[in-house]
Amino acid sequence: MRKLMAIMLALLLTGLTGCTGAEPAPDAASPEIPLRVWVGDNADIPWMEQVIADFKAAHPERTYRIEIGVQNEGDCAKVILSDVEAAADVFTFADDQMTSLLNAGALMPLQENAQSIRNANTPESVEAATGVDGQLYAYPATADNGYFLFYNTDYLSESDVQTFSGLLDKASDAGKKVAFPMANGWYFYSWFKGAGLDMHLSDDGVTNVCNWNAADTPITGAEVVQALLDISAHPGFIEADSDPFVAGLKDGSIIAGVSGTWNAAVAAESWGDSYAAAKLPTYTVDGQEVQMASFSGFKLVGVNAYSSYVGDAMDLAAFMTAKDAQLQRFRLRRQGPSNVEALSDPAVQAEPAIAAIIAQAPYATVQRVGSKYWDASAALGKIIVNGNPDSIDLQTLLDNCVAGITAPADQ
Amino acid sequence: MNRPFRILLRHVLLMLLAAIWLTPIFWLVVTSFGTDSGPNIRSFFPADYTLAHYEALLFGTDSVSQFPQWFLNTLIVAVFTCLISTAFVLMVAYAMSCMRFPARKPMMNIAIILNLFPGFLSMIAVYFILKEVGLTNSLTGLTIIYSAGSGMGYLIAKGFFDTISRSLREAAYLEGANEFTVFWRIILPLSKPIVVYTVINTFLMPWMDFVFASIMMNSGVASEKTVALGLFSMVDKVNRNRYFAQFCAGGVLVSIPISVLFIIMQKFYVEGITGGSVKG
Amino acid sequence: MGKNTSPQRRTRQQPVLLRFFAALSRFLAGAWHAFRDGDASVKLSALIWGASCFRRRQFFKGVLLCLEQLVFIALIVILSPDLIKLGSLGEVQAQRVYDPVTRRNVWNDYDNSFLILLFGVICLFLLALMIIQWLRNLRHARQTELMARKGRHIPTFAEDAANYFGRKFHRTLLTLPTLGVVCFTIIPLLVMIAIAFTNYDRNHLVPTNLFTWVGLTNFRSLVSMTSSSSFAYAFRNVLAWTLIWAVLASLSCYIIGILMAMLISHRDTRGKRFWRTCFTVAMAVPQFVSLLLVRNLFADVGIVNTLCKSCGITDWLHNIGAIPTANVIPFLTHPAWAKPMILLINIWVGVPYQMLIATGILMNIPGELLEAARIDGANAWQSFRNITMPYILFITGPSLVNSIVSNINNFNVIWLLSRDVYTTSDQLMAAAGATEVDLLVTWLYRLTQDQSNYKMASVIGILVFIVCAALTLTAFSRLTRGDREGAFQ
Repeated sequence: MRKLMAIMLALLLTGLTGCTGAEPAPDAASPEIPLRVWVGDNADIPWMEQVIADFKAAHPERTYRIEIGVQNEGDCAKVILSDVEAAADVFTFADDQMTSLLNAGALMPLQENAQSIRNANTPESVEAATGVDGQLYAYPATADNGYFLFYNTDYLSESDVQTFSGLLDKASDAGKKVAFPMANGWYFYSWFKGAGLDMHLSDDGVTNVCNWNAADTPITGAEVVQALLDISAHPGFIEADSDPFVAGLKDGSIIAGVSGTWNAAVAAESWGDSYAAAKLPTYTVDGQEVQMASFSGFKLVGVNAYSSYVGDAMDLAAFMTAKDAQLQRFRLRRQGPSNVEALSDPAVQAEPAIAAIIAQAPYATVQRVGSKYWDASAALGKIIVNGNPDSIDLQTLLDNCVAGITAPADQ
Repeated sequence: MNRPFRILLRHVLLMLLAAIWLTPIFWLVVTSFGTDSGPNIRSFFPADYTLAHYEALLFGTDSVSQFPQWFLNTLIVAVFTCLISTAFVLMVAYAMSCMRFPARKPMMNIAIILNLFPGFLSMIAVYFILKEVGLTNSLTGLTIIYSAGSGMGYLIAKGFFDTISRSLREAAYLEGANEFTVFWRIILPLSKPIVVYTVINTFLMPWMDFVFASIMMNSGVASEKTVALGLFSMVDKVNRNRYFAQFCAGGVLVSIPISVLFIIMQKFYVEGITGGSVKG
Repeated sequence: MGKNTSPQRRTRQQPVLLRFFAALSRFLAGAWHAFRDGDASVKLSALIWGASCFRRRQFFKGVLLCLEQLVFIALIVILSPDLIKLGSLGEVQAQRVYDPVTRRNVWNDYDNSFLILLFGVICLFLLALMIIQWLRNLRHARQTELMARKGRHIPTFAEDAANYFGRKFHRTLLTLPTLGVVCFTIIPLLVMIAIAFTNYDRNHLVPTNLFTWVGLTNFRSLVSMTSSSSFAYAFRNVLAWTLIWAVLASLSCYIIGILMAMLISHRDTRGKRFWRTCFTVAMAVPQFVSLLLVRNLFADVGIVNTLCKSCGITDWLHNIGAIPTANVIPFLTHPAWAKPMILLINIWVGVPYQMLIATGILMNIPGELLEAARIDGANAWQSFRNITMPYILFITGPSLVNSIVSNINNFNVIWLLSRDVYTTSDQLMAAAGATEVDLLVTWLYRLTQDQSNYKMASVIGILVFIVCAALTLTAFSRLTRGDREGAFQ
């Protein structure tokens, strides 16, 4: 047995070692260039197929074999981090994953036309695609990945949606709900940032800086948490992330809520002509009304630094984020362009969700957050939703939360 | 309490239990025929019935759901996994049950020890091993994952072989049969229940597993998925509201052959487990 | 029957380690004696494995042995670069230069720590195997020499080969299964265990970055609570819930499964096959389908919540203070609700299987025992207590231990029911990436998939093993001392 085993092992291992470290080194003159591209959603596939057809037509001198895969933009980095070499050549990701992708060395900095990309897209989207070293690491694809307020004009007027308390009072009067994804760090940020508290990536590019628990800010974190506890306890409030939000839209129980463009179609369908969108409202904290801030969100297209055909992959990435492709994407998927020219298209301007994003833009920050932020902030949000059942001192809650947010990333 | 009443009570209880167990399954079936494409949360029964989800699942050109392709992929993996694993399990079980050799005890102990490690601890290393041979994102790679370690699941089969009387084998040895003949012509024909049990279990593995599959199949290309992976992707955050009913339809379609298999093989299956676990 | 837990057996058994080293030293001594006492050809086969075979005219075998030796040496030579770097896990960082002419990246010859570790371990494994094989071969050569001296027949290659279907049939049987286990279980496990002693995490991801050995640092962060690390806290809580879960989940399925089997198998029950089929159908739906389904049933916006709301249960629960908000029953989103719910759902998933097993066992209860009991005037309860229950316990006792171990590793139920649904409100748990409903294995998975924290995942994996091993050892030393299999044949 041992002998046989050794020989089998030997055969197997010769196979193994034969491939060790062998970079796929395709022949330069190879007739076909294989590329794999990841789009964020199944519904993007028809659009991508169109883009690929146009791309091939625009490059008749080369033959491409392009495969489309689907990888949710929100989880993209997780998959890429588990094995960069196996990831797609070109992938779409939400800009919050920029830091982890940069740390893993997965992104190829733009080589040939960085300046023209910078010029063609909105400054915020370019900022989101820029690495700590100032190089452009990705191609802005959409500028609509932030959040804003959806509301139903049957119940709410334009003046109602200016303040959160106005929303809540109208909703509870009508026996309806206002939704906010409290136990989700991405949205949760807007309360604190709005109150002038800060949380952002520190200079090491890995950990976070956060002053939510500081005592010397004009509005303290404890006051914000108290305001949030009051909001959560309001009969017109419901904590609802994407799924419950959609369900609430469909059954009519939710008449306003904070979410993003990905739910615009459902909202438009459920509310019909009463569907409207606006910037986020103000909310009351420590007796004053403050404007809720937000993360601006961008979808970016990255090129895998480990791709065998980075040049061609960059061509494709540039093509799929150019003005025409962005407009096409808007037409097929209602996604807001980051391209300045595409953004000025009348049809784009007329879209309520995109108008709302533009209105929110002055209060939005580009998302640069280390990985430790999410679980810690979600936990605090969850405690608030549950009404702080153990009656823990608010400052302690914040201290714990900040300890979690600012923890070293290697833990 | 008189007897007829007790009998009635017994059957009422059984009906109640059966209802608890079957209600979710029933909901799966009705939802798959409902008109809602997301989860139906308004009422237990859908407002209206349609075959659209099955149609979309089986004949749709939607590149998300390539159910027939997934089904085929899984079937191929399942058939080969089943063949290899069943062979491995029976071979190891025979060696451990009917033969005596110095390495026997140590090997059995090692198998026990290995079984105590959480299975996917090693998955990342396995992934890289397979990647070095170029077998990730391939059905061959998946088959290897499911069947390579199957020899360690020999205990129940061994328990079954242990119950087969030794005198049968000894008679055969006296007639000059070698171990191979005994294994092939005497033990195996007597082991129908345990063979069926092993076949069912190993055949089902690729239909049930998604963790290993999701680590191995990371290309994101829809046509490379297995049923489990594909159905799983239909109910993630993004897709649930569009594909939940198709997920249910897919669940029904997968469950039908498995249920039939179970119901037909139920007798053997029970004999197999108990024969083996009596001594397990 | 098998209950031969005789005291003399226990005293005769020496500690495993001691026995192992005794065997090892015997093996080494044997090889040394073979080399010392053997003739020239035996001594030569220490250098050229086939030498002695050629001397005894076993040409074919000799060629095979030499070939084997060559393959071993070739492989080890091929893998030796990785073996050499195993101490540092690589030092050359990946660097790329973009070539604007070919439009490709040109990479330096960089080190990949993970592959170095993987191939280093494989190489060590091969080295060990080669040494064993080398020593075995020496002993074997000496034995053949002695046989030849005594003028006994030396087996030809054909006879050797035939042996692999006779006396050595176990080798034929076990080769492939063992190979599979070695390549895809043992070596990967060794690699992953080694990772617990490195700093392989999201700051040291291959291939861009290198990772290296850090000794016991990771283990220390599990036991010591520092201001920046809540791993110790999370670990204690997760471990506690894992153990509670494993015991409760196993016992509940076990007891209810047996009770249901008895209910169905009872002579008064009509349509046994029908009832059994009802429960088997629930088992035939793949677990991930049924679990994802149930999770949607009990979701915060799910059908059960809608029904409860419409018939007033939700409001009633809110009034008695059992739920934090008036809107939903947090079946799977609040720790106090989620844990019992998960246990209940696990019963739903696990009982049919247990019932099938118990059914089979009940059928095997010797009928004459029950008959005799009835004649003696025992009522149903007495015959259950004194015959059925002890019988089932005796037969399934060991499997109960197995099921506790497998529930410690029961990934599917917890993960499928809590993934994307459950958000922890425990800030310290959150900081360690765990939730209240996590088992050690789901935490492990979360750490690898969500946080790329491979080092801590490996540490947890090792601890899971230790917990399972401790449990199995204590339980089995009581339940199945010694070798029971002979008793039945």
